[in-house]
Amino acid sequence: MIPKSFRRDARLKTALRLSSIVVAAATAIALAGCGSSTPSSTSNSSTPKAGGSLTVLEGDSFAGSWPGLDPATDTDGAANMSYMDSIYGELFELTAGGKTTGDLATGYSFTNGGKTVVINLRQGVKFSDGTTFNAAAVVYNWKRDLTATCTCKPVFLSTPTITATGPYQVTLSLSYVDAPFINALQGSVMNWIASPTAIQTMGETAFALKPVGAGPFIVEKDVPDSELVLKKNPNYWQKGLPYLNNLTFKSVSSDESALTAMEAGSGQAYEGMSTPQLVSAFKAKFQTTPEPSTSPYDIQLNTKIAPFNNKIAREAIYYATDAALLDKSLFGDTYPVGESFTAPAGLFYEQNVPGYITYDLAKAKALVKSIPGGLSFQLGTISVPTATEMDEAIQTEWEAAGMHVTLASWDLTGLIGAFTGGKWQSMLQTAGAYDPGTGVGVCFRFCSTSPFTGVWDTHLNNLLIAAAGTTNQATRKSLYDQAAAYIAVNAYGPFLFPIAGYNIADHGVGGPGLNSPLPVTDVNPEILWQYVYNDNNA
Amino acid sequence: MSDSVTVQSAGWSGGAFLRRLTRSPVLRVIGRRLLTAIPVLWGVTLLAFLVMNALPGDAASAMLGINATPAEIRAFTIKLHLNEPLWTRYGHWLAGVVTGNLGTSLQSPQSVASDLGQRLPVTLELVIYAMIITLVVSIPVSVVCARWPKGIIDRLSLVLSMGSISIAAPSLALLAVIVFCVKWAIFPAIGYVGLSQSVAGNLHTMTLPSIILAVPLIGFYIRFLRADLLEQMQSEDYIVTARAKGVGEWQILIKHALRNSFIGVLTVIGLNLATLIGVTVIVEEVFSLPGVGFELLNAISNRNVPVIEGIVLVFGIAVVLANLATDLLYGVLDPRIRHVRSRS
Repeated sequence: MIPKSFRRDARLKTALRLSSIVVAAATAIALAGCGSSTPSSTSNSSTPKAGGSLTVLEGDSFAGSWPGLDPATDTDGAANMSYMDSIYGELFELTAGGKTTGDLATGYSFTNGGKTVVINLRQGVKFSDGTTFNAAAVVYNWKRDLTATCTCKPVFLSTPTITATGPYQVTLSLSYVDAPFINALQGSVMNWIASPTAIQTMGETAFALKPVGAGPFIVEKDVPDSELVLKKNPNYWQKGLPYLNNLTFKSVSSDESALTAMEAGSGQAYEGMSTPQLVSAFKAKFQTTPEPSTSPYDIQLNTKIAPFNNKIAREAIYYATDAALLDKSLFGDTYPVGESFTAPAGLFYEQNVPGYITYDLAKAKALVKSIPGGLSFQLGTISVPTATEMDEAIQTEWEAAGMHVTLASWDLTGLIGAFTGGKWQSMLQTAGAYDPGTGVGVCFRFCSTSPFTGVWDTHLNNLLIAAAGTTNQATRKSLYDQAAAYIAVNAYGPFLFPIAGYNIADHGVGGPGLNSPLPVTDVNPEILWQYVYNDNNA
Repeated sequence: MSDSVTVQSAGWSGGAFLRRLTRSPVLRVIGRRLLTAIPVLWGVTLLAFLVMNALPGDAASAMLGINATPAEIRAFTIKLHLNEPLWTRYGHWLAGVVTGNLGTSLQSPQSVASDLGQRLPVTLELVIYAMIITLVVSIPVSVVCARWPKGIIDRLSLVLSMGSISIAAPSLALLAVIVFCVKWAIFPAIGYVGLSQSVAGNLHTMTLPSIILAVPLIGFYIRFLRADLLEQMQSEDYIVTARAKGVGEWQILIKHALRNSFIGVLTVIGLNLATLIGVTVIVEEVFSLPGVGFELLNAISNRNVPVIEGIVLVFGIAVVLANLATDLLYGVLDPRIRHVRSRS
């Protein structure tokens, strides 16, 4: 029998929980599309100290290698988000709880049935060269981005019409509804507005090395792929910010190097630590904040060629895959196992999908036996330790079901070649994004128009396109739920769990995204550098 | 009349200059070396070009990333002239080099020349500093070993030399970081301060990486120099003569034997340089130094052929010049070589 006091406490807790959800929802609605950016829970200290400096380490295989800092030619795109956000600020930023909030913009609205986006800009903001941040500057940048020869070029299904409909208002019109547009700005080059005067005066080559924006920091020194030294922008529009006087990004070769560098005091923060085996070593000395992931791993199956053009073979894969065991044995039960392309930190999350085939070794064996000649194929992935280790574990599970599996891994270039060659059979990849309609979202893996798809299904295409084609969030969720169920029923590829890295910070260092989590919007999470502080040397 | 005199004078002074040039043994050595360097550099860059083109994947995909569509990859390939035949592309690059243009990085809008211009001083400083440390340590130790062969110092240096030659540079670098940067906090684990910014800061950031580079060389040079000194001290006639004249052992060793041994050391330095440049890649990666080696690794993974070719060319020129310098220094150290050159 349950004690009375416990039942009373339980009721109280439930009431408090429900009321806090209501308050949070009301707040979110009130803040939608308007208002200035506010920091999330920032720190261990009540008021961060202004001043000081911070050295942030970046792995050179990802963000630690930057080709240039001009948005129109930044081929690394979202990987360079920390540098770009620091220098340019953002039109919109993502704050705690996944709230898209205005930074250099003050709000947005959809008109014309959702085919037009109107963005209002913040007034009184200047670029660090003293010129005015206004609609003309945004239009100049966006048109420049759209004509750049760069994969960072924003992709639209039709050419947008971009106009300044006021000194501080920009309008973008399309022939279709692009509901994820504002969410897609996160990590897009369109979110970073450069000073047109500086581009024209300096020339593109010089500008890419010493860019001019309206963000919290100014470039002092840029040694590409090595060191980026920034200093506080004295004319930043948010008074009293940034907290730091100096912010330096340094490239390191690996997570292990980052650990020794931080232990030696050569850096006070490290973004995107991705080696699970080092988590405890970092935790022993530093603040270790898991990045909330929005992209689950999934096993893509090439449904165009054997053996996975056969639905029975695909179902055998589902029955043979024990995602929970993989999570437990490789990652100590750290990540939530899912059944679709959504994840807890992203939009439209649903953990369970109707019709999803779950692990059953006996059924897997029976299906494999029923296939003439058995089931023999290759499983590929990218050459990073986490992915290759997962491949090996998955191979073990599948071979227990009687499958014969060979493994392959490639660097990014080779992986692209494997996909575009069309002969791949199965791949361990990630699918999904903060907003499934953006970036490396679900269409990237499941729409027949993507070069990296394993599925050519018109009905699924239509569901995903329709989900991105409405601004009604409830309708979008319903359509993504239907898409997830359709993928499950057709066994197009099982999902595992979203893995995310960790942001590491010295004690006394903090800020939104650094020691308090912000969701990953595209490929890496955002850190709001204007609110980052270092109390150790302020 | 004055014009014809001027013309006559100019013609006469030009011919005399050329005659003086061809008579100078030093300049003839330089000229011969530079002439032989041309086919060497051509061969090295061609080989690098062929190897890079044989690697799987292509630069356009590497640059554009996983989000690129096949159409974008095709357009970028055409823009970078990567669709042209291999020999055409190599020819374009070679034509550029002759006019001093190393091309533009495929990854950024920077010219290869300006990128290397930023990075080369870091690598050069690393190599020179490592060589200085090597010579400062190995010469005195080998002299002491040669003075007292099979003594305690000699035996100890044998063990340490073998150890230093055997240990792999990456392992040594990581161990050094843990001990000297993390545990004892004497040096920074990563980063670089330029000489122009701060001499003290520069030495602080470059000393440990240079020591890592120097350690295997120290072991090798100690054994090499010790052996050469001992051979001279035990078998050369001029040593016997010096002893017969009552010259002290230390003086014989340092003033006579060591000077002659430098010729062998010079040869080894020239040969080591190519290996040393290869090891700088590892050291720059571990210590995050913004040198050429660090850039080379990045360029290879991105199939950034212009940068790779530029670096290969620069490395090749460095090796050629280093060997030329050692050849010229032979003449400084050994008058017999100067005399033979003059006569020839």
